[in-house]
Amino acid sequence: MKQIHNQEKQQFEKLFKQELVDNFEDRFKILDVFLKTERHVTIGELVQILEDKEFHFEPDFVRDTIKLMCRFGFAQANKFDNGLVRYEHRHLCQHHDHMICTKCRRIIEFNDKRLELLQVQIAENHDFHMLQHKMEIYGICSQCLKERKQTIPLVMAKQGEQLVIKDFTGNTAARMRLLSMGLKIGDTIDVITNIGKGPVVIAIDCNRYVLGRGLSQKILCCPV
Amino acid sequence: MHEKSITIALAGNPNSGKTTIFNNITGTRQKVGNWPGVTVEKKEGLISKYGYDLKIVDLPGTYSLTPFSIEEIIARDFVLEESPDVVIDIIDASNLERSLYLATQLREIDCRVIFALNMADVARTKGTKIDAEKLSELLDLPVVFTVGNKNEGIDTLLTKAIELAGSTAEIQQKRKVKYSKDIENAIIKLQDFIENKVKAKLAYNLRWTAIKLLENDKIVTERILLKAGDKRNDLLQEVQALRAHLMDRFNDDPEIVMTDERYGFIAGIIKKTLTSSSQNRVDISRNIDFFLTHRYLGFPVFILFIWAMFQLTFSVGAYPMEWIDRVVTLFAIGMNNLLPDSVLKELIVNGIIPGVGSVIIFLPNILILFFCIAIFEDTGYMARAAFLMDRIMHVIGLHGKSFIPMLMGFGCNVPAVVAARTLESEKDRILTILITPFMSCSAKLPIYIVLAGAFFSAKAGTVIFAVYLVGIIISVVSGRLFRTTLLKGADAPFVMELPPYRAPMISSLLIHMWDRGKIFLKKIGGVILVGSIVIWVLSAFPANIRYSLDYASEIVRVEALYEAEITAAGKSERDVIEKKKDMAIAKLIMARRAEKTEKSFMGKIGKSIAPLFAPLGIDWRGSVALLTGVVAKEIVVSSMGILYAVEKEPDALQSALVKSNMTPLSAFSMMLFVLLYLPCIATMGTIWRETGAFKWMLFSILYSTSLAWIVCFCVYQGGKIIGIN
Repeated sequence: MKQIHNQEKQQFEKLFKQELVDNFEDRFKILDVFLKTERHVTIGELVQILEDKEFHFEPDFVRDTIKLMCRFGFAQANKFDNGLVRYEHRHLCQHHDHMICTKCRRIIEFNDKRLELLQVQIAENHDFHMLQHKMEIYGICSQCLKERKQTIPLVMAKQGEQLVIKDFTGNTAARMRLLSMGLKIGDTIDVITNIGKGPVVIAIDCNRYVLGRGLSQKILCCPV
Repeated sequence: MHEKSITIALAGNPNSGKTTIFNNITGTRQKVGNWPGVTVEKKEGLISKYGYDLKIVDLPGTYSLTPFSIEEIIARDFVLEESPDVVIDIIDASNLERSLYLATQLREIDCRVIFALNMADVARTKGTKIDAEKLSELLDLPVVFTVGNKNEGIDTLLTKAIELAGSTAEIQQKRKVKYSKDIENAIIKLQDFIENKVKAKLAYNLRWTAIKLLENDKIVTERILLKAGDKRNDLLQEVQALRAHLMDRFNDDPEIVMTDERYGFIAGIIKKTLTSSSQNRVDISRNIDFFLTHRYLGFPVFILFIWAMFQLTFSVGAYPMEWIDRVVTLFAIGMNNLLPDSVLKELIVNGIIPGVGSVIIFLPNILILFFCIAIFEDTGYMARAAFLMDRIMHVIGLHGKSFIPMLMGFGCNVPAVVAARTLESEKDRILTILITPFMSCSAKLPIYIVLAGAFFSAKAGTVIFAVYLVGIIISVVSGRLFRTTLLKGADAPFVMELPPYRAPMISSLLIHMWDRGKIFLKKIGGVILVGSIVIWVLSAFPANIRYSLDYASEIVRVEALYEAEITAAGKSERDVIEKKKDMAIAKLIMARRAEKTEKSFMGKIGKSIAPLFAPLGIDWRGSVALLTGVVAKEIVVSSMGILYAVEKEPDALQSALVKSNMTPLSAFSMMLFVLLYLPCIATMGTIWRETGAFKWMLFSILYSTSLAWIVCFCVYQGGKIIGIN
């Protein structure tokens, strides 16, 4: 199990760095604790577990991080009978000789004689009597990879592009501010200006807004 | 006396045309004051119409009643606490969805609301049509079409408002936003809990209170908890439990979910009332923005505008300045001839007239500057300026929004510090307030003009520009320093609307300008008048001075001497000798005045603080002048006028300065000191009020003054070492 965790951590690091996610170290700690829980947890429970381990985070921040993980396919939200939203990490479900897309859960079956043989040989080399084996490759399938690339933070948008707002990350106050000014999920926006390190100017219908780069980071969009 | 008075509050989004409608209703009968406790401008107008006294209150423009900024808190508190008879919600017809968000929030507080669908003509050209009747029916409130800048529909609006204020009909519950089942259940549960368990008498509507508690509204929660008394913890636990439940249910904060649902409600209304033809909409503002916020063009255009503003302020302003100067001089001469010799005459002619007179001539500059700023604001260019400056302001760790107060600082620091209130983050606000006084205000300019004119004649303009530049550099460096030490903090989320460009209305520009002018005139009538009197008293007393020379008899002696010469001389030489006589006497009078000042209280104060200023190359008279500048910077010039003892004639002060021990280096040092040292009393008071903390005002004073001393010390001593003098 530990092995898998380390791999996930590395992937997490690689992905987050690519996507310019902030507060990396803190998010990493949350991921670490989350991956070590082998059950379905609510945000409240996760905050409690973190507290027990002497990590103090705002629930908002934990929620935000977990949502990020969902986006990247490390975690998944489930609603069970009592209506509470619980999160699990994706490698809970285990399969045989499968490639599992951690995002859409698509399972690609494969069979390779060389691999089967190699496993037998390895076991033999260790004087190990193999009864059965599991082989799972976790990753993101080609389809999800295509889709994921399409959701970009607003800062990465090009001037003149037309986008649809898909999601907000970031704290509640900032989201409320955007909502009250009329920026909602599902709105179609035009990117008017996005130069260098300056703020981003967008237009919705005939309203134009200036958004700081930090805030634009937290608005996730995809092309129309 | 009318039989009934009605309070009407105007609410609405920023840029919805609220101020235009307010100006139309009230005209010039406006009272500009402050909201209690804060310095956000409060505009009120009293008018009589249809037999009623109408009190119109202009609430700050807000996007919502969720308290993010001071404006929103004020707007909400006014509606909650003062319970106006009617709230007119001014809605930008071309922006219905967003406007309705504020409207639904107003509707949730139990108050009587009227919609003014403003700028419907603009909306029509954009291809939107609004069914007012349907809207009125759906929300159960009167809807009136208005066109603010053409003064259409205002009368109907007022009639409806009066009608509504008089009606006793209950406000219907069913017209309010209905949330999803889970939230409604939580609201009912919390309502029950408050009613049955807490039993406290609440000031607000029960449902609204429950909603706000669930939304985790800090201000309302605090107020309710205060009322709950010993049930405080129970209530808090109940709210937290319900919130946690909703959080798990929706996987998001309840306030976000409720906001989403409000927008859902609004979407339903819009579907039924708004028809939007998909014809190609021409957005002129977007085309203008293409140039004004252009990657390369934007910045030079901005600089051009700022340059034009200063040009206009100082070159066009020079003409009325001259007229006012003439009037003041005439007035002084008139008073001198009219009044009998007395201490009172001395006070008026030598104290009040030169003191107030030297300040009042800046009225044209102030008016023009604020007229220009009003143009920037009303056309919508100010927001673009903030956008353009955002990258530069990031060097200090501030947003482009902070640039607006700093720009206004060039005019006057008082409104500039007040303007910082538009910043949401408190740290940003304090930081901006602390560095704004380094923007050289217009009151300091006369000092530079006098000093630079006297010592750098041909290069005066460049030297003054350098001083302004030093101010900007110091503010950037200080800002950076504060950001990394005292006011550490991440950038607050920066979001700002770029309003559509609009042609400014002359009447609104004039009203805006006149508001500022009034403040300036009040300052002249208040602090500056008192300051002038105090300075005059300090320099005129003690009255009985032992002069080193008996000037009176000396004058008599000189007069007699020349008289004798005149009678002895031939006719042709008489005029020459007459002139010589006048000059000799004038010289004596000047010497007496100088000695009088030196031996006055003022002189004594100056001499005792002079050692502090000596290393900066500033003599005792300069020290006193600087000291008097604390009252108002304008006074520095007038006290130099009194102290360097000059006759009222053009450039007299400048030549007197050159004759004194001042050098170009020490003049430059003094200019820098004026630039940097502590702000005037009015600014200090404003800093105190705006930051809400005495310590920040004290910090501002100590920081700026010690910085001024250090910089001037380095410049003066350094300059002496490398041999500039």
